[in-house]
Amino acid sequence: MGIGLILFDICAPFLEFIAPAMPGKYFPSFFNGAIPGLQRALIASIMVTIVAGFLGTFLLVRNLALIGDGLAHVSFGGVAIGIVLGATSPLWYALMFSIIASILIYELQSREILTGDSSIAIFMTGMLALGLVSLRISGRAITTEIHSYLFGSQLLIDKASLDQISFICIGAMIILVFIRNGLLAITIDPLAARVQGLPVQGLGLLFSIITAAVVVSMVKIVGALLVTALLVTPAATAQLIGRSFKSCLVWTQILGLSSVIIGLYLSAEYDAGPGSGIALVAASIFTIVAICQIMIRTFINPNGNSN
Amino acid sequence: MKTASLGKKNPEGPILKIDDLTIFRSGKLVLKDINLSINKGEFVGLVGPNGSGKSTLLLSILGVLKSQKGNIKIYDSSPMSRTLHGKIAWVSQAAANLPRDVRITVRELVHLGTLNTKNLFFLSNNTRHDKVDKAIKMVGLQDFENIDVARLSGGQRQRAVIARALATEAEFILLDEPLVGMDRDARNSLLKLLDQLCHDSGKTILMVSHDLTAIRQTAHRMIFLEETISFDGPNEDFPELERLADLRGIRPVHEQDHNHSKSNKKEEE
Repeated sequence: MGIGLILFDICAPFLEFIAPAMPGKYFPSFFNGAIPGLQRALIASIMVTIVAGFLGTFLLVRNLALIGDGLAHVSFGGVAIGIVLGATSPLWYALMFSIIASILIYELQSREILTGDSSIAIFMTGMLALGLVSLRISGRAITTEIHSYLFGSQLLIDKASLDQISFICIGAMIILVFIRNGLLAITIDPLAARVQGLPVQGLGLLFSIITAAVVVSMVKIVGALLVTALLVTPAATAQLIGRSFKSCLVWTQILGLSSVIIGLYLSAEYDAGPGSGIALVAASIFTIVAICQIMIRTFINPNGNSN
Repeated sequence: MKTASLGKKNPEGPILKIDDLTIFRSGKLVLKDINLSINKGEFVGLVGPNGSGKSTLLLSILGVLKSQKGNIKIYDSSPMSRTLHGKIAWVSQAAANLPRDVRITVRELVHLGTLNTKNLFFLSNNTRHDKVDKAIKMVGLQDFENIDVARLSGGQRQRAVIARALATEAEFILLDEPLVGMDRDARNSLLKLLDQLCHDSGKTILMVSHDLTAIRQTAHRMIFLEETISFDGPNEDFPELERLADLRGIRPVHEQDHNHSKSNKKEEE
């Protein structure tokens, strides 16, 4: 019995307890277990959102907002190669490929050979192309399974996937909590951190590996194309609201979790598609908050400068 | 008074000693035969034109750049060695180096200074809070400690970065162009703060600056760097602009310009 199933056994009774309070016709089935697998999907989505929000705040500061997108495409390439090679669990290929890519992206960036953006672009397109080419050569079309890796589908989350996702998310979260101060230090001012004796290189690499692993675990839920929605959008919205690093972390969680719950509700009731539903809600929240900020600046506090 | 620390032999030996340092960057000679020693309690201003190797010198003291020839000793250890952790602090240029798209309060920023290899993974520690309080007080940002750094003025932001360096409790502080992007008042009060750190808190300061007039008011000792050190001595002896140009082998293009710069100089004084 894996860590995912233990978590499932802990959470399921609670979800069933709050199920009657949930609105909608189909939405409660995420909670009450009427449709098998949906409870798993909900638990996995919430876990991934929590870790993604935490990571996203750091990614924004490091100017790596698009690394999630990049690594997700790399992992799609990995999945495609895994499928072609006949792997039973292609997600392990995805994990391997994106960890390697994230380490290389980090090295290229820290050795100042390429900026973060350009190296992400190269790996993203290169690996995506490799995946597509190998699918074509082996004579496979883009099947529903592959389609769901691109756009995400909760139905993909079987017991083994839940185990895998829980393992990655809980592990990543524990490590991140312990290295968060060091991570912030090397992000804000790498040279000062180095002079203080902090292991800048080691922390940077560890962060890259964690990012890669979390992105892979997200691909199943929101899909390769929409990973950035959970990784960056809530964190970016939080930067508009928060006034300190800590408050931004808290806001990111609030915004991320609301996006997931509302997105899943839309996908259940109006068949919006879980990944796209979540991404749309996250982007809408950002838009509303940004408009409010502009209104406040222009009308309520026209003379105050925010910066 | 200001030169007292210069002439006196320091029984502990110099904090920084550089012998015959030569550095190439991407095949180009940047520093040549640099000899320099800095004693405890000195406030040294490092000046020179753009591209003269000031940053290269700082980065090689920090151990980021490797030297091709010569050697650097800080507290008798090589740059970047473990024994130096917590003895030397770096103040980067706030105007250019602080990320703008992150929300971080002064307190959170200064708190990062208290991290070291030993407490890196600790979740919280009370002695750290005392250090943070002390550092914030030293730079006079008590009333701003919970304000987002991006909302501060240029001078306050640079003070916050200095407080982060003070929180490391290092004795030897290196500053890279801290006066950039500041108005005259902010610049003067920052220089006053650095002077206090040097006199009252026993810090040793090596500061790089473009701003000759500003740094001359405060530094005890001036170093003019242009590939090699062409002047090193107490700030009273630092050459006037005309002599400096002469030192660098630059002749005035027009006599009029020459006079113009002279009258500018007078106004400033």
